[in-house]
Amino acid sequence: MRPILLSGHERALTQVKYNSDGDIIFSVSKDHVVCAWFSHNGERLGTYHGHQGALWTVDVDPTSTLLATGGADNTLRLWEVKSGKLLKTWEFATSIKRAEFSADGRQLLGVTEKRSGHLSTIVVYEINPDPEAEQTDEQSLRIVCDESKATVAGFSYLAHYIIAGHEDGSVSQYDAKSGELLYNNSEAHEPDMQVTDLQWSPDRTYFITASKDKTAKIFAADSLEVLKTYTTDTPLNSAAITPVKDYVILGGGQAAMDVTTTSARQGKFEARFYHKVFQEEIGRVRGHFGPLNYVAVHPQGTGYCSGSEDGYVRVHHFDKPYFDFMYEVEREHAQANL
Amino acid sequence: MAPVGRTDWAEEEDEDSSLQLPQQQITKNKDGTETITTYSIREDGKRVKTTRRIKKTTIKQIVNPRVAERKQWEKFGSEKGKPVGPQTDTTSVAENILFKPVAGWKSRTEDSREDEKKKNNLKDAKIKCRICSGDHWTTKCPFKDTMAPEGGDAPAEMGDEQPEGPGGLGLGSSSYVPPHLRGRTGGGEKMGGKFERDDLATLRVTNVSEFAEEQDLRDMFSRFGHVTRVFLAKDRETGMAKGFAFVSYADRSDAAKACEKMDGYGFRHLILRVEFAKKATT
Repeated sequence: MRPILLSGHERALTQVKYNSDGDIIFSVSKDHVVCAWFSHNGERLGTYHGHQGALWTVDVDPTSTLLATGGADNTLRLWEVKSGKLLKTWEFATSIKRAEFSADGRQLLGVTEKRSGHLSTIVVYEINPDPEAEQTDEQSLRIVCDESKATVAGFSYLAHYIIAGHEDGSVSQYDAKSGELLYNNSEAHEPDMQVTDLQWSPDRTYFITASKDKTAKIFAADSLEVLKTYTTDTPLNSAAITPVKDYVILGGGQAAMDVTTTSARQGKFEARFYHKVFQEEIGRVRGHFGPLNYVAVHPQGTGYCSGSEDGYVRVHHFDKPYFDFMYEVEREHAQANL
Repeated sequence: MAPVGRTDWAEEEDEDSSLQLPQQQITKNKDGTETITTYSIREDGKRVKTTRRIKKTTIKQIVNPRVAERKQWEKFGSEKGKPVGPQTDTTSVAENILFKPVAGWKSRTEDSREDEKKKNNLKDAKIKCRICSGDHWTTKCPFKDTMAPEGGDAPAEMGDEQPEGPGGLGLGSSSYVPPHLRGRTGGGEKMGGKFERDDLATLRVTNVSEFAEEQDLRDMFSRFGHVTRVFLAKDRETGMAKGFAFVSYADRSDAAKACEKMDGYGFRHLILRVEFAKKATT
C-alpha cells in the first residue's frame, strides 16, 4: 500500500471527506482554505477561497454539486463544487463546528459553538440542490443545546432523527422535524469526555462515535443502544465504518498541545483498524507525525484517507491482504455458503 | 590510426566527434511488441547498445459517467491553469506501507514490546555492587566489612542460613543456588570464615579469550574436580568476556591440581594464566 501524500495545506487538517462516488476528497484545515482532490492520483482539482478563519468542517451533497463548509469566522458557506464559486454565506454569533447534509441533500445542518453568552445550537436549512438557485436565509429548525454543548451532529436514515454528540460525553436524539429531544443517552461515553466524531454506516441506521475517553462506540440510531465498543489506549478524534469489509478505522493520538513533549513513537499517531463485529484490533497504519484529526473511508470501501495535525492528508488504497483477511469463523461461513 | 599509447588530448577529441552513433531503431514485432534499439557512449568511452522490448497495452476501466465527467473539469482556485495530472508541490507518494490485518494483532505486538522493556531495564541497571551484586554502590554495601569483592555467589551462604528467605532482603544478589551446591559449599569442613573458603579454592584465570563462554571454562576446569562456580567477567554493553575469570572448586586440592595443569594451557589462541585468587584486601 503506497499512500499518496497531499501537502496542500499549511496548517493542521480538521476534516476530510469523500464525495458519494469516492472520486473526490475535500479537505479543510486551519489555514482558511478548502481543497478538492482526485482520490485516485492525489491531483488537486481546486481550492475554495473566502473563509476568514480556521475551518472546522466540510461536507458535500450526494450529487457532488454543492459543498458546505464552516469555520471559526462564524460563517457557514455553500460552494459550487465544480467551479469553486461561493454561493451562500450564513452568518452566526459563534463558530461552526460541524456541517452535514442529509442523505438526500435537501437539508443542511450546522452545529454552532458555545461562547460569549451564546448557547450551542444545531441549525437546519432547506437546501435547493440547483447551484443557480437562491438559497434561503430562514432556518427550518433550530435546536438549542442548553445541557451540554453539541460537538458533532448528523441526520439519521430518511432524515428521521438528528443525532448529536456532546461535550459531556452524551449522545442525544432529536426529532428532525420538530427539533424535540427524544432521548439522551448520558452514559454513552465517560462523563465529561467529549464526543469528537460521529460517522454513519452507509445506510445511516447506526453510527460510530469517537471520544476523548479512548473508546469508539457503535450505536443504533433508533434506540441509541450501544452495539459495539472499541477500546484503545489513546484519546480518539475520529472513527469511521468501512463498507465491504466489516472493519472500523479509528484515528487519534494524544492532544495536539502535548505532542511536542513526547516522541513520535509514543504519540500513537496511527490509524487503528478494528474488526467491527469482534471488536478486536487487527492492525495499524503508521505514517503521520501528528495526531489524526479525521479519518474518512471511500464509500466503495476501496481506500481511506486521514487528515492529521501535521498538515498532511494521506490517501490509502487498500491492497489485497486487506480484502482477503477473514477470521476463522468468517472463512468457514464463506465456505459453507459456496 | 589510433595507437594505443596515444596521449594527445586534441586528437582524442577529434576521434570522439568522429564517432557517429547510429540512429535509434524501432522495429515492430509480429506479436505486437516493439523493439527499440538505442546507442550511447558511457563515461568510460565505451559504446553501449541498449535494446528494449516494449509491449503497449491499453487498460480499459469502466467508471461511473459522473466520475468521468468530473475528471474533465477545469481546475480552479489556486490550481487554475495548471496542467493535468498531480502537481509535485502538493502531491507526492509516500513510502510503501505493508498493511496486513491479523487476528489478535494486539497480543502479538505486546509481546515484543515487553521484551523491549526488559532490555531497557537491563540497560538502566548500571549500578551494581561489587560485593553483593545489589543495585547500590560498592561503598554503600551493608556487607562491605564482612564480604570480599567479587563474591558473586554470596547467596550460597545466605541460602544456608536462611533458606526460606526469598533471596532478597537487600542482599541484592538473589541468584538461585541449587540445593546440591548449597550442600557442597556449606559442607562444613572449611567453615573457618565465610569467605575464606571461597578464596582458598578459587582460581583466578587471566588472559581468557573474549569469545569465551562460562560453559567452556566450566568444561575445561571440571576435569580436575567439582567446580562450584565459574565467574567470567563480561562487558555489560557488548556481552564479550573481559579477559579474566574466577573458578571455584569444592576442594582445595582439586584447585591446586587445576592450577598446576591449566596454567599455560592454550585456549582459543591465548595462553591461560591460572593462579590462586588473592585474598581480597578490604
